[in-house]
Amino acid sequence: MNRVPNPLIASLADELTPVTPLRRRNGWLLALGALAVTVLAVALYVGLWQAGLAGTAEPMFFVTNGLLLLLGLAATGAVLSLAAPAVGNRPDAPRWTSAMLAILPLTALLTALAGGHELADLYDAHSAYCMISGTLASGLTFAALTWWLRRGAPVSTGAAGLWAGVAAGAIGSFAYGLSCPIDTVGHLGVWHVAPVAICAVLGRIALPRLIRW
Amino acid sequence: MIADEPTLARLMAQSQAGDRQAYTVLLTEAQLWLERYFRRRVAPGQMDDLVQDVLLALHNKRASWDSSRAFLPWLAAIARYRWVDHLRRVYRSAEDELGDHDAAEDSAEDAVLARMSLERLFVHLPDKQVEVIELVKIEGLSIEEASHRTGQSESAVKVNIHRGLKKLAALIERAD
Repeated sequence: MNRVPNPLIASLADELTPVTPLRRRNGWLLALGALAVTVLAVALYVGLWQAGLAGTAEPMFFVTNGLLLLLGLAATGAVLSLAAPAVGNRPDAPRWTSAMLAILPLTALLTALAGGHELADLYDAHSAYCMISGTLASGLTFAALTWWLRRGAPVSTGAAGLWAGVAAGAIGSFAYGLSCPIDTVGHLGVWHVAPVAICAVLGRIALPRLIRW
Repeated sequence: MIADEPTLARLMAQSQAGDRQAYTVLLTEAQLWLERYFRRRVAPGQMDDLVQDVLLALHNKRASWDSSRAFLPWLAAIARYRWVDHLRRVYRSAEDELGDHDAAEDSAEDAVLARMSLERLFVHLPDKQVEVIELVKIEGLSIEEASHRTGQSESAVKVNIHRGLKKLAALIERAD
């Protein structure tokens, strides 16, 4: 059967120019670059905590920052995957890593209550500062992942926004966390995890509008 | 006959490199594939607009295809995304004719394969929602006509369309 030629196809072919395919490897380079620059900025402006670098900090310092980094990487992988259209593109890794990270605030609450403390005791003089600093430190990763998603074609814009927020919050809080000398479970488990939740909400609400196409 | 996956992937890779001849063939094949994919899930009079819309999206987002991955799932994901968007936007007036909904399939097997993804989405919706979405958004009946046809009140038709489309969008979001 003869078909009528579609003028749109001729027009699109006419204006075809070579493009650089969106490669996951380049996305990883971008995200890891943002992470490195964020850590460097924290080191320059605030300074890294020497006890953390020397390995003499409390184990909670390493557990919390390790989990934050792991979640940041898992969520970044999900975002890079969601940037390209695909059917059956369900990110499971960041879900499980988020659940693992959630153990920290639960531990902080349980140990505070079991120790006969008030929940208000979890708030210390540095709580708000750490929470805000961790959230601000997420900015560069947020911008990098948003730019990547805008270059791509996410078909799950809500999920992409959510995981971009989680990735940015986790990486920002990890980078800032390297400078924080308070290594108690009450402080790290609540105030260093809070930026992840804040950025997740921001990403879920704000990003879909920016990355819709 | 639509080209197979390896051929389409090769054409797409050549298109990303700027090969206009390969691109023309690819878009023509994609057009055929999309027409089959959307058959019975879009009002016939709107099929061309939706296919053109997806072809434009393919063109604008052609850099987002990674040659290490399959081409058709990439195209199907774009098509689903645009389809739900289309259902949300379009409201056909009652004056529009239904057109030929019983156009011959190329083959039963191909038709089932081509429609699988869209059918799978409808499976997750309650029958009442599927019924009114099909009548109003795809066949183009008015709310009143759909109400008479289904026995649902006009308010129920509106609510079921709203909830059904919301759920369809959520299913696409989950990328199942």
